[in-house]
Amino acid sequence: MFAVELQNVTKRFGTLAAVDDLSLTVPAGSVYGFIGPNGSGKTTTLRMIMRIIYPNHGSIRVLGEDVIGKGAATDRVAYLPEERGLYRTMKVREIIRFYAELKGYRNPRADIARWLERMGLSDWSDKKVTALSKGMAQKVQFICTVIARPELVILDEPFTGLDPVNAALFIDTILDLKRGGATVILSTHDMSVAEKMCDSIFMIFKGKKVLDGPLDGIQDAYGTDTIRVRVETNGHRLDGIPGVTGVVDFGRYQELRVRDGTDPQAILEHLMKLGTVRHFEQARPSLHDIFIRIAGPEAQEVQHA
Amino acid sequence: MRKIMVIAIREYLAAVKSKAFIVTLVLMPVMMAGSLVAEKALKGNVDLTPKRLAVVDRTGQLFDALKAAVEKRNTTEVFEEDDEDVAAVDRMRTREKDGPPAADGERRQVFPYFVLEKVDPVEAGGDELLLTLSDRVRKGELFAFAEIEPGVLDPPESSKPPAIRYFSNTPTYRWMHRWLNMAVTVAAQEHRFERSGLDPRKVAWALTPTEVDHLGLFERDASGRTIVPAKKVDEVASFIVPAMMVFLLFMVIMVGASPLIQSVLEEKTQRIAEVILASVTPFQWMMGKLIGMVGVSFTIVTVYLIGGLIVADRFGVMDMIPLHLLAWFLVYQAVSVLMFGAMFVAVGAACSDHREAQSAIMPVMLVIVMPMMVWMNVLREPNTLFATLISLFPPATPMLMLIRQAVPPGIPLWQPVLGMVLVLLTTVLVIFAASRIFRVGILMQGKGAGFRDMFRWVIRG
Repeated sequence: MFAVELQNVTKRFGTLAAVDDLSLTVPAGSVYGFIGPNGSGKTTTLRMIMRIIYPNHGSIRVLGEDVIGKGAATDRVAYLPEERGLYRTMKVREIIRFYAELKGYRNPRADIARWLERMGLSDWSDKKVTALSKGMAQKVQFICTVIARPELVILDEPFTGLDPVNAALFIDTILDLKRGGATVILSTHDMSVAEKMCDSIFMIFKGKKVLDGPLDGIQDAYGTDTIRVRVETNGHRLDGIPGVTGVVDFGRYQELRVRDGTDPQAILEHLMKLGTVRHFEQARPSLHDIFIRIAGPEAQEVQHA
Repeated sequence: MRKIMVIAIREYLAAVKSKAFIVTLVLMPVMMAGSLVAEKALKGNVDLTPKRLAVVDRTGQLFDALKAAVEKRNTTEVFEEDDEDVAAVDRMRTREKDGPPAADGERRQVFPYFVLEKVDPVEAGGDELLLTLSDRVRKGELFAFAEIEPGVLDPPESSKPPAIRYFSNTPTYRWMHRWLNMAVTVAAQEHRFERSGLDPRKVAWALTPTEVDHLGLFERDASGRTIVPAKKVDEVASFIVPAMMVFLLFMVIMVGASPLIQSVLEEKTQRIAEVILASVTPFQWMMGKLIGMVGVSFTIVTVYLIGGLIVADRFGVMDMIPLHLLAWFLVYQAVSVLMFGAMFVAVGAACSDHREAQSAIMPVMLVIVMPMMVWMNVLREPNTLFATLISLFPPATPMLMLIRQAVPPGIPLWQPVLGMVLVLLTTVLVIFAASRIFRVGILMQGKGAGFRDMFRWVIRG
């Protein structure tokens, strides 16, 4: 059973193919990560799933229903867009109620109170949206998304503007949705979040799918060719070591990609000559590293995202 | 449909709760009442300093008559007429008895006294004299001066008498030269009567003008037995009532439709659009917004109609309110809000900020204001070809057809029916085009669209 199925979907804006011949299946009940840099076609794909725009070619099924040419998304699907979309002059409770009713939830009063309580916003229910901080507005937007108990929740960059405490609250809530049987599509360019939360990952770059599948499988496929180290090198560079094909410097850590068949011990030996080795670990490649490998230097912006 | 109503209700509440709406609803009657009060207050606030007029009477025979006329004016005509009926009676009494009315002491003076000063004409160097008098006006000793030529008394048979020359440095003050004109005319006429051996009274009697009473038509009552006599036509009322309807319609469009630009712009710039489009189609959304605004317009109209009816009832002019046009008015109003509202929605969706919207809205505003420029013409002559054609031009139909229907005897029924059909077709067309512009524009960020883009979106869909 798939919550979302895309088949050979292409969407063009003018001559630019924002999404190019994309096929994708999202299993029901999973947390599915959509990753990719800005402008890679993530939001376009999400908007097509939400029926906000229609593809030029291909077919899309959402919750078992063919969506093309069918009007607005059903009440079973909810969408948290990347940018906040709240009427500034409405009160918090009013706007949640409005979005709940738009999803066909007729009497959401008790649920609204419960959600405001959970998000720590009970004191703000009669305040206008303009009075909220960015993080609070984000929480209100989140409540608006999930208030009508959707079966498929699409979250586009839900963690922007949140402090760690609130980010943890969000993660907790999202996992709750999953436990409740909902399918969650999480779009983000923050690879570490995707790594922590997602069962499966879908990666899009320049409109094309470059990666798709369960996270474990992806990491296995890219093998154990990564060594994570912390070395005090006194300025020596690490990319001159024989057998090392690439270095990603995270600051405190460095990830070395090594040629197949290279003996890790030889590399360790070499490192010890360069400086003091504080940490040495044969690791599976991080999502970020995999992404860099696929997308090449063009995707470097992801590093800074 | 339920979702459309959810949007409509939100839109309605947002508009009705806004300050602009409350201000319009409350302030408009206050301003109307205020202007009446101001007029009343300012009426007593006139300059009552006596005004001195020097007269160079070259006829040598008119000054005494003018002096008598100015005295009559200063005792009767400078006072307020409390009530039209009283004033009419007074005028009659004055005419009959040629004496001052009794109640002078009680009445407020609303015009200044005029004081005449006789200046002897000089034979030569007339310009010198006029210059001296001009200087006296400049110094404030005189308000104005006038020169009356001898020819005034003996005009040539085939042409008019020479004009009185009136000199002043207050070009906008009209009461004095008007009075002078009338007074000299009357005095000169009496002089000519006497010279011709006619009795001025008899001539005046012979020349008594006849007046016209403008009446409606006789009709039978409902039973068909009694004949109901025609009523007197109130010409002011027959202008005011259609004018009020047009202004009410205009206001409803402005208050009911134009906030849509702001709300669409907010939804676009605040990225509310995406959230809403995750639940409804662009067309449903737009219809919800339009229906909400029709609700707003009905709120305004209800308030004003009830207010108007109460006022009309108090002043006993209930029969002047064209209640038979109420249904037409309400439909025209709803359709206007839909038609113009859709245009505003399209403009709002195509623009990226308020400044852009301001200039893009100009063509729509022109179409809305257009009927306001011709309505007087249409009201005076509702059955000319021009009036008929322009009232069938859909954006103008609601206002202009309504006027033509309001002016008796009205127009053949096929005209408002055809007009309504055209308006409905136009509205459907405008909504269709607007929804296509809205669909593309609402999600577009960055630069706003030009008219060419909008046209392309409409055609391609």
